[in-house]
Amino acid sequence: MNYLRKPLLCLLLVTLIGALAGAGLAQDDITLTMLTHWGTEDQLAAQQVIIDAYMEANPGVNIELVTVDFGELRTKIITGRTAGISADVYHFYHLWLPDFVNAGVLAEPTQDDLSYIDENVAQGTIDAVSTADGQVWGYPTEVNPYLLVYNKRLLAEAGYDAPPSTWDELKEIAEAVTQVDDTGAISQLGLGVMAGWDSGIVHPFSALLFSNGGSYLSDDRTVAEFNSPQGIETLQLYADLVASGGTDPSISGLGDFPSGTVGMVIMAPWWRATLRAAEGIDFDSEVGVAEIPVGPSGDAPSSIAYTWLFAVDSNSPNKAAAWDFIHWMNAEHEAGQGSAIGDFLVNALGAIPSFDHDQAAFADSMSDHYVSAFVAASAYAHPEQIVAGGQEIKTLLQVEIEAVLAGMTTPEEALASVAAQADAILEEQRMMAEE
Amino acid sequence: MTAVSPKRAWWTPDIPKSPLMRRRMLWAYAFISLPILALLVFLLGPILFSGWVSLHRWDMLSPVSEMPWRGLGNYVFLLTKDKVFAKALGNTFLFAIGGVGANTILGLGFALLLNSRIRGQRVWRVLYFMPVITAPLALAVMFSFIFDRNFGVVNSFITSLGLPRQPFLSAPSQVLMTLIFIAVYQFVGYYIVIFLAGLQGIPQDYYDAAQVDGAGKWQEFRFITLPLLKPVMLFVVVTNTIGALQVFDLVFATTGGAPANSSMTVVLHMYNTAFKFSRMGRASAMAFILFGIILLITILQVRLLRDRAYQD
Repeated sequence: MNYLRKPLLCLLLVTLIGALAGAGLAQDDITLTMLTHWGTEDQLAAQQVIIDAYMEANPGVNIELVTVDFGELRTKIITGRTAGISADVYHFYHLWLPDFVNAGVLAEPTQDDLSYIDENVAQGTIDAVSTADGQVWGYPTEVNPYLLVYNKRLLAEAGYDAPPSTWDELKEIAEAVTQVDDTGAISQLGLGVMAGWDSGIVHPFSALLFSNGGSYLSDDRTVAEFNSPQGIETLQLYADLVASGGTDPSISGLGDFPSGTVGMVIMAPWWRATLRAAEGIDFDSEVGVAEIPVGPSGDAPSSIAYTWLFAVDSNSPNKAAAWDFIHWMNAEHEAGQGSAIGDFLVNALGAIPSFDHDQAAFADSMSDHYVSAFVAASAYAHPEQIVAGGQEIKTLLQVEIEAVLAGMTTPEEALASVAAQADAILEEQRMMAEE
Repeated sequence: MTAVSPKRAWWTPDIPKSPLMRRRMLWAYAFISLPILALLVFLLGPILFSGWVSLHRWDMLSPVSEMPWRGLGNYVFLLTKDKVFAKALGNTFLFAIGGVGANTILGLGFALLLNSRIRGQRVWRVLYFMPVITAPLALAVMFSFIFDRNFGVVNSFITSLGLPRQPFLSAPSQVLMTLIFIAVYQFVGYYIVIFLAGLQGIPQDYYDAAQVDGAGKWQEFRFITLPLLKPVMLFVVVTNTIGALQVFDLVFATTGGAPANSSMTVVLHMYNTAFKFSRMGRASAMAFILFGIILLITILQVRLLRDRAYQD
């Protein structure tokens, strides 16, 4: 066995040197994981360009991009934390912010980051990524107000050359656009809803509610107010539209508007990429955007807007590097050029960026007939009220709106039921926060 | 008079006297210890942890050591206040009753046909079994198109007969029946195979003797086939009920519980409660309630069917 001794010793030595070298390298290198929901091929490629540029400018920092579908994002964040394999950088929906903050998921931004956000973002958007105590938790990204997106061709064929500006007009046009064939099949629908998706149901409802002079929660966010008379009128609008055939929950506004068979839908700006690629509707000549029609109790068009933010996990061993990466993505490195994320939001998504320098730098890209209308709406749209338990309240409301659409209950009963549950959730969350 | 050895407790091993046998026994324990350890770590551990969590409020994000104690609060809330849970429980029972009934009747019916002298027996067996090996999510997406109110094949067929168009998955009154149909389509092939194996295990002699006595086909089925198939029936009913009460993927992919919770099931509600609303304590309590229900139903089914099977 002596003849084996030397080769074995050499092998052991090489392994030891390799391990030590690896350990040395690992000590110098930092790997950050970023979790987003931007997962299409184009979006992945655009994000990778940003990541590659940062890694080139910052040797020793490796960025790993992980994306999941929006429907799984919250689950992924929660299970990742529970399993101890959480990402360093999250991009998430601001409605989840209070839950994450209460559970200690997020790290506070540095003072430099807070100052940068304060100097470059409108106060309304800053509020949307802050908790009730005024603490800002991350860099806001896209601002998404809701507007009435309509098919000009279908409305013109039905005899209307302008979109509805009141609910009566909305009902009239929706009924006129709807076409049902001899067998009862709906070949064309007036107003599309998005059943089965909480934001797809609750955000358009909220946009109509605000345009009817109503509100979602009280200003101090302690009780539900969507069950007000204005709220009941809003839900009655849905019931009336179903009764007249102007809408039908079996048709998906999200899926069928791009195929050119739905006249109107209430939607957000990020849909631009889908509409541009759609074969059933010509984006430039047939897609129109209008303000949310005003309800009988409202006096001016209004809407709702939600946002997203970049934040850092409190368990991240590289918080400073993570905040540096987020800052780099959002900062303008050359005057007038905008940020990397601003470019991505505007040109890859069709969304409205939060930072002033991005809104200025990409003003031309946002001047098309579609995005410009949303930019205008972002000035007056009500930010979605974020509150602990907000996701649960939203889902409960979605289910009750669907129940009205299905004719299972009345608007009064539906809203009274969900408001009582929402108040109980808000009360429970308050008590938990006090414990 | 022979010596009577004292009665040995069941947990004390019967140690063999021969060294060879003792060594073999040690190896046997060594081999079995790994699966037992895995069972403890990956099955019993999570069950006990889940039971502990069900007595707390836990958002899965806060440390386990800081979970606020709720006692039986989660159970009380679910059984007295949670309307969605009550609705989901009702839907799940209906789904189980419809699914188990249809799978048992159709499974036995098709198995009898396949057991007779029909042409292309093997081809039929493969055809019936194909949905069983198809991914449930793929089937769910496929049936969403097939049952579409406006463009679905089923509605095209219905309207060609002059009948009114049906909403199927988008109507509260029809969604559950449609889901039962899809589930039966997927799993009936499996139960056909089980029944077929049972039928082929019945000795031909019984039928020959019955024919000599002048028994008809119905009498053969009533007095020979059915009684001798009861152990198989017990297996089919029990396993199908357990599976049906835990239905998740089909509903998740087709309707997500919509419209208005008309197709919400217990496990889907459990998933939403845990991961969408971050209420792991309540979701765990739901799991234990469902476990209790399944256990009770299974004991009842086993007692009813097994006793009758042995009596017969």
